[in-house]
Amino acid sequence: MALLKIKEHKDQARKAPIEVFPDPKIAIVLTYQHAGAPNTPLVSVGDSVGIGQKIADSKEKVNASVHSPISGKVVKLGDTYNSCYQECSEAIYIENDGKKLKDKTLTPIPVSELEKTPNAVLIKRIREAGIIGLGGAGFPTHIKLSLPPDFPIKHLVVNAMEGEPYDTADERLIIEKTSNLLNGVRVMRKILGSPEVVIATKSNKTEALAKLTEVFSEEPNTKIVAGNFTYQQGDAAQLQKVLFGYEANPDRRSYERGTIVHNVATINAVAKAVFEGEPLISRVTTLTGDIKEPKNLLVKIGTPISDILNHFEIDQSDIQKVVIGGVMMGTSVPTTEAPVTKRTSSIIVFSKSKYKPLKRRTTCIRCSRCISACPVRLHPVLIFNAIDKGNMEKARRLYVKDCIACGICSYVCPSGIPLAGTICAERH
Amino acid sequence: MTKESSNEPASSDLIVEPAPHITGPMTKDRLMLYTFVALLIITAVSAILWAPVTTPSGWNLGLTVVINAIIAVGVAVGIDALLHKVVADSQLNIMSAAVFGLIVTLSYSLGVPIMATAEILPLEAPDAFLYVALISLIGLVLFKKIQGLAGRKYVNPAATAKLVVFLPFLSTMLLVKEHFALFTEGGLGVPLLAGPIGNTVINNNGVASFATYLQGCYNNPASTTLADLNWLMIVEKYHGWVGGASSLAVIIVGLGLFIIARKYIKWRITLSYLVTVTVMALLMTAIYGGDAEVRILFELFIGSSIFLAFFMATDPATTPLTGIGQLIFGVGLGVLTVLIQTYMNFFGGSLLALIIMNLTVPLLDRVGIHKPFGR
Repeated sequence: MALLKIKEHKDQARKAPIEVFPDPKIAIVLTYQHAGAPNTPLVSVGDSVGIGQKIADSKEKVNASVHSPISGKVVKLGDTYNSCYQECSEAIYIENDGKKLKDKTLTPIPVSELEKTPNAVLIKRIREAGIIGLGGAGFPTHIKLSLPPDFPIKHLVVNAMEGEPYDTADERLIIEKTSNLLNGVRVMRKILGSPEVVIATKSNKTEALAKLTEVFSEEPNTKIVAGNFTYQQGDAAQLQKVLFGYEANPDRRSYERGTIVHNVATINAVAKAVFEGEPLISRVTTLTGDIKEPKNLLVKIGTPISDILNHFEIDQSDIQKVVIGGVMMGTSVPTTEAPVTKRTSSIIVFSKSKYKPLKRRTTCIRCSRCISACPVRLHPVLIFNAIDKGNMEKARRLYVKDCIACGICSYVCPSGIPLAGTICAERH
Repeated sequence: MTKESSNEPASSDLIVEPAPHITGPMTKDRLMLYTFVALLIITAVSAILWAPVTTPSGWNLGLTVVINAIIAVGVAVGIDALLHKVVADSQLNIMSAAVFGLIVTLSYSLGVPIMATAEILPLEAPDAFLYVALISLIGLVLFKKIQGLAGRKYVNPAATAKLVVFLPFLSTMLLVKEHFALFTEGGLGVPLLAGPIGNTVINNNGVASFATYLQGCYNNPASTTLADLNWLMIVEKYHGWVGGASSLAVIIVGLGLFIIARKYIKWRITLSYLVTVTVMALLMTAIYGGDAEVRILFELFIGSSIFLAFFMATDPATTPLTGIGQLIFGVGLGVLTVLIQTYMNFFGGSLLALIIMNLTVPLLDRVGIHKPFGR
């Protein structure tokens, strides 16, 4: 299967250093940002919270807790738009008191003591820090690291592909936080029993590649693979095929093939949690699209998107669409009041003056391009037709659940048929 | 918006639509534009090649091609626009209609004076103008628009419309050998290639006889060598489908289109069709004797074969979705084409073969469903 290339639009943004975005006056922290069981709030209106204090959690295993990004007072519990799930869900509103008081529950572990620290402590730390896959999937990281003993891990893959067009947050993170990344990799490598580390990136991320090569040069049993990879190859299963040649069965867990894939932003968050005692309360996000100067921002989770737009004086009356988390897989939000979440890897603004509606929807001409383009070899048009006729049984037989939501079928469709949107909605 | 109202998404004018939020460059209109340009080049080549020829009715053959094209495209585009105005949910597809018009033009047979004069087939101007208009009209209304109401098209509109319009002449086109009498009498039976009939003639100087027949169309200098026949069939001929005036032009333009619109054109059908036709020609030679090369030249480069292979058999709407389905489609089309031409004595039988194969597509779509990644 030939993989098509998509124009990246990253030239400007990849040169923009990470800026620390000011803390919001009111942080709106969604309690449910991960894949897994929902959380319940641990605080009530009127409670005072410190930076990094756990404010929502659940007793379920597959779960990630949520922390306050600022110090202040809980002023409201209410629903707001959740871009992770494209619906409104519960959020904790915290008013900033400006005192920057830190919660001290998580104590930093010195780098020198990493080898002495038991794995269980490290995994618990990662769980308590609320870390999830920051590449977009949002799966709790501690679960991915808690493996049954009969599956020895041969490879820890560091996913530094950042395939989404426009997004450069990971790339800047690699360039500016390379030593943090190295520390995070060491934590994961220790937990996984010293597998080979394979860092996969694209050769056109030249600055990032140079930094990686420099910082990881002394690291034992580590290799950097840089290639002319496509957007689709940033998917964990596709990446394993690129690196190791095998196709992992989608019904099985990745560790069964001896490989664990983690995104660079996730690894950076692990390093911060372990060595700085900071839970996942901020992330780097790319602000780009139809704006003069694309930015990479270190922003507190819970910051309303409107705060960011206002701060950079982006005229909100000229905004037609705001996409969160990448133009290929991200979601467009109905309101800029929606807060930044753990999974907000980018904020892409489409202005009214430049926005063009996507292709005119016409009838399917049966060109079969969606079939030849699908990176997981599905038959998008057949699945779409089955769903359209309400024949879910047929959609299931055509492996609708194997869809990786990459959006390629819609991208190539000459008739503007919303293949990806329809199929993704039915894949679970 | 106040905080209190944030229980529901704000009723702002932000657009919410599913991912992906960017789209590739290929659209249906662009694909149709590429195809239209390709067909326009072939129309021009045919018109130029045929410009020096005047038919017995006194019309210039090149001019006839141009007028046919204007009529067919005009009728198709005009009716498409009219339907769009009158019928509420009829989509405007100007490019698609224009492509259809040119396919009608190029799949129309012109310039077989013997057949035309002896058998009252409307293969010459001015009759041709009326029939091209009819095919375009019926094709667009019945087989593009009305058939399209079924959700998808099952049979190729241009092919079906031509067959329907020519239905009154079916007995003339099929199973009757008299229109070749002129040549059979002189020992130059044309059906010699079409099967058992001309068997003995093929064995006796088949190249010369067939070449003479073809050269005889419109009084071209009669030569009877294999080189002349090669030139005729591949570079320029003066009979049959307009689109097949130059097989070479069809191949070059066709391949150009395949490259420009690659991945959007079902090239597997063209490939497997042409290979199958070649194999079938060899098989017929093995059964009935005669010159293998002549038979291959005829079956492969006759206008109804080469033009159909590149521009009609690949029509996306009426062909299979899977790669293997497309290969089978091409093979079936090739087998049927040669069988129909041989045993039904129906030159241009690829048209009927195409419609038959079109009808098998719902079945062929079940073949070649591959397993997903990792399964």
